[in-house]
Amino acid sequence: MRKQALSGILGVLAAFAIGALVLALQGFNPFAAYAGLLQYSLFSASGFTATWTRAVPLVLTGLSASIAFASGPVNLGQPGQLIMGALGATLVGLFVHLPSALLIPLCILASLLGGALWAGLAALFKRALAMDEFIVTLMLNFIADYFALWVITYPLFDPSATSPMTRPISIAAWLPGLGGVNTSVLFMVLAVIVCWLVMSRGRSGYEWRMTGQNSLFARIGGCKVDANYVRVMLVTGALAGLAGGLMIMGGPHRFVKGLGANYAWDGIMIAVVANNGISGTFLYGLLFSALQQGAIGMELVTAVPSEFIEVLQAVIVLVVVAGRVSLNMVFDRLATRRKLKESVG
Amino acid sequence: MNVLFGLVSAMLVGATPILLAAIGGTFTFYAGIFNIAMEGMMLVGAFCAVLGSFFLHSWVLGILCAIGGALIMAGIFVVFAVRLHTDEFLTGIALNLFAVGLTTFLLRDIFHVKGAFTDAGIRAIPAVRLPLIDGIPVLGRLLSGYNLIIYVAALVTVLSAFVIFRTRFGLRLRGAGYNAACLNSSGVQASTIRVWSLIVCAVCCGLAGAYLSLGSVRLFSENMSAGRGWISLAAVILVSGNPWGIGVISLLFGFFDGLTVFLQGGRIPTQFTAMIPYVATLVSLYLYSVRKRRQA
Repeated sequence: MRKQALSGILGVLAAFAIGALVLALQGFNPFAAYAGLLQYSLFSASGFTATWTRAVPLVLTGLSASIAFASGPVNLGQPGQLIMGALGATLVGLFVHLPSALLIPLCILASLLGGALWAGLAALFKRALAMDEFIVTLMLNFIADYFALWVITYPLFDPSATSPMTRPISIAAWLPGLGGVNTSVLFMVLAVIVCWLVMSRGRSGYEWRMTGQNSLFARIGGCKVDANYVRVMLVTGALAGLAGGLMIMGGPHRFVKGLGANYAWDGIMIAVVANNGISGTFLYGLLFSALQQGAIGMELVTAVPSEFIEVLQAVIVLVVVAGRVSLNMVFDRLATRRKLKESVG
Repeated sequence: MNVLFGLVSAMLVGATPILLAAIGGTFTFYAGIFNIAMEGMMLVGAFCAVLGSFFLHSWVLGILCAIGGALIMAGIFVVFAVRLHTDEFLTGIALNLFAVGLTTFLLRDIFHVKGAFTDAGIRAIPAVRLPLIDGIPVLGRLLSGYNLIIYVAALVTVLSAFVIFRTRFGLRLRGAGYNAACLNSSGVQASTIRVWSLIVCAVCCGLAGAYLSLGSVRLFSENMSAGRGWISLAAVILVSGNPWGIGVISLLFGFFDGLTVFLQGGRIPTQFTAMIPYVATLVSLYLYSVRKRRQA
């Protein structure tokens, strides 16, 4: 755990240094750029709350990917599951008329169901037809994307709009603000706590992790590996779906074209740098959210294109992941040397 | 008859980038690398092709730049996955993300546009009329007059089948994937072979990228590879890397891709016709699993 934190911090710092080098080569002032980045993401009240709101889909899709990867299934379908969850919440928000206290939970439920169904489809293909979920979930992403585009272009199209989008959902389904903070943040924090409890304190989390590390051992140990596979797919799909639902209910309050496109691979990226840990996913989710939020400020202050952040994110992933492996090798070597000395002495 | 010609042409246009990337992927597949970075290599290739073609005023240099860009991606892959022993899957994912980020950043930084860049100054790769066949009535129209890269792709397929199954390099390549320790003990480093396989893969993906941005269109748009690298990966896995199989599968995808264009303006909404290549991938995955179960 301490080794993880150390390699993480070192990796992020190294990535920032590489980023500064790239900026300097382009003729920008890296210190001014990073200062602008921090100022607009963490050190201003509006930026700080916006960073937390932006972190909601990042952390939730990250949790989805982390739990899936740690438990075995290579679920790369977060983008599609997010879209289906958002679609579920939109449908309920448009056509069900109830007071807020009932409608909000119902919308959340619909988003969980939407994501779980889409992931469940991939699980069904795997269990019944022996099709690998790795490519299936990827292809389902594209299919979900076009399906949602069709839904908002034809059946649910808002005639008063110029680009494909639905009408706004019923006001009763809007998440209330809480002192400038979007309430969707609360749902995210709750999801993180529940996931952490399940994965590191619960029995099912233990079984899942064991299956992820050695499925044969888990099977011999008495785990129902196949049933667990389906469960993990459903749970991770629901998490991604929740991300989509919260984005609709807390953000634009309608399904607009391109929703979730920016978050497509971010969840997987976060899970990868966090090495599938829950707390790591939460922290890296916040970091990436701060980067994305501060990017706009950086562009305002120093004219560095905000797209620079996408490069920086990928560099962070590469450096942290590679750094973890090399650092582990260094630690192993030191430990061996120490043991050798002890046995000689 | 015209419909047939149109469909064949659309099929070849759709098949070419997937075929090239998949042939590249098959080299790494045989070398025992789980390489999912084709998508990123293709995207960087497409961007560098436009970059080279626009600034150097030549499509040949555009293609060379595309290959160069893809080679840089392969270099990063080598450093991380082969030298530093980072997980190949994670490296691939990170590289794909890096490609999307880098190309959108450079699009903004160099061309000062968002979304897509197109300009009359970009030189496209020309179409080629085959000297003898062009004169023959039906066959000429069927086989001649396509983009240069399409012929290159066909050539690359034949060549790769020869290299993989008939040459010493091919034997070592398959050895690196089949039993790396055995290859090492014969005095040939498996990691060197893997590096070569990645270089070949990058060249193929660079060509595929150049075809995307300089072939039938002359533009670069954000994320224009649009999952073709993933489809090519599916193609490689489906036929266990056999180049002839890859050729057939790519043509099949090209056919469905072409069908998409033909069904446009019909009664089916475009959003559903656009799904066809992805649904086709799922169907072929299903057929693959059925075949595998019969063999077992």
